[in-house]
Amino acid sequence: MLRRLQRRWSEAPGGRRETALALVLALQAMAAVFFVGDVLADITFDGADLHLVLEAAVALALVLGVLFGALEMRRTLEEAERSRTALSAARGAMTDLIEARFAAWRLTPAETEVAFLALKGFDVAAIAGLRGAAAGTVRAQLARVYAKSGVASRAELLSLFMDDLIAGPVAGEPSGADAARLPAA
Amino acid sequence: MTGTSEETAMPAGPRWDPLVRLTHWGIAAAVLLNGLVIEEGGAIHVWIGYAALAMLALRLVWGLAGTGPARFSAFPPSLSAARAHLSDMLSGRHRVHRSHNPLGALMVYALWAMLAVVTATGIAMAGSPLAPRPGDEAGYGRAAVVAGHDEAAEEHGGAESAAGEALEEVHEVAANLLLLLAAMHVGGVALESRLSGRNLVRPMLKGS
Repeated sequence: MLRRLQRRWSEAPGGRRETALALVLALQAMAAVFFVGDVLADITFDGADLHLVLEAAVALALVLGVLFGALEMRRTLEEAERSRTALSAARGAMTDLIEARFAAWRLTPAETEVAFLALKGFDVAAIAGLRGAAAGTVRAQLARVYAKSGVASRAELLSLFMDDLIAGPVAGEPSGADAARLPAA
Repeated sequence: MTGTSEETAMPAGPRWDPLVRLTHWGIAAAVLLNGLVIEEGGAIHVWIGYAALAMLALRLVWGLAGTGPARFSAFPPSLSAARAHLSDMLSGRHRVHRSHNPLGALMVYALWAMLAVVTATGIAMAGSPLAPRPGDEAGYGRAAVVAGHDEAAEEHGGAESAAGEALEEVHEVAANLLLLLAAMHVGGVALESRLSGRNLVRPMLKGS
């Protein structure tokens, strides 16, 4: 359920840079082919002279530009793929952590969604709008979430997760003991 | 609240990068325009032909330098794999391919080869796109093309114009074959999409 929610509210658009690079490459490739064609035709019909040598140099530069552009494009795509993978791994880990906590606190499905949105930074009015509920209802649900998790505010709720992200498990404590450190459900 | 299965339920088909999509639709448009719409032999026809060759060249470079499903190594031409895929299709089994499926791969290479023949013969007849040759007063008129570039034609007489006619013959036959292959390609995509229940056109339009 959390993953579905996460997808719904954190879908990021992408690929604009890659598309722009592809367009530039296509233009370069066309220019390169036109110039190479022109140079070949000139050699066939006019023979070589200085003008032609310069033209050939331009054509060569364009061809090299396409080749290096393609390599650059490959790097961009690979980098984007790497950061996508890393981000989704981090997201997955974070989601697992949140899910484990929410399960340990025995939140109801409605409380889970409200707590999740609160973690994402939506205020009461925004959560009410997204869920089509009254602000009072959301406030009551949030209060129950705080009570079940043993915190007094949204900042404290967030700090329960930030603590894990920043510090990691305390030295000497097995990493699986996270649940033991949770405030009583 | 487990929510783990939905992530893995749908195995991903190929995701086409922007360069593959751009060259694909660029070539498709060029082939349709030059084959069916634009009058043959005119200047626009020649420009479009050069543009198509540029797209083809870029795609071939990308087949070596590119990433993932765009690389040649992701869809090697293989008759045995194509046969296996065909029998899969007939028996209703569906495998997800990360690049072109083996039959599609054969079609891709056939289309590229035919496009290479068409553009090469076209350029051999038309010459440079930037400056009309002496003797091409009528632009890239077919008369000038068939006569060979006439300075040369005057010297070599019949040999040149016979070569020109052969070029034109090859160009036309290959162009018609290219259109036929393109139609088969569209049919194959439609059939495979229908049989596998996976829309193969969308990734080529939107990437995934």
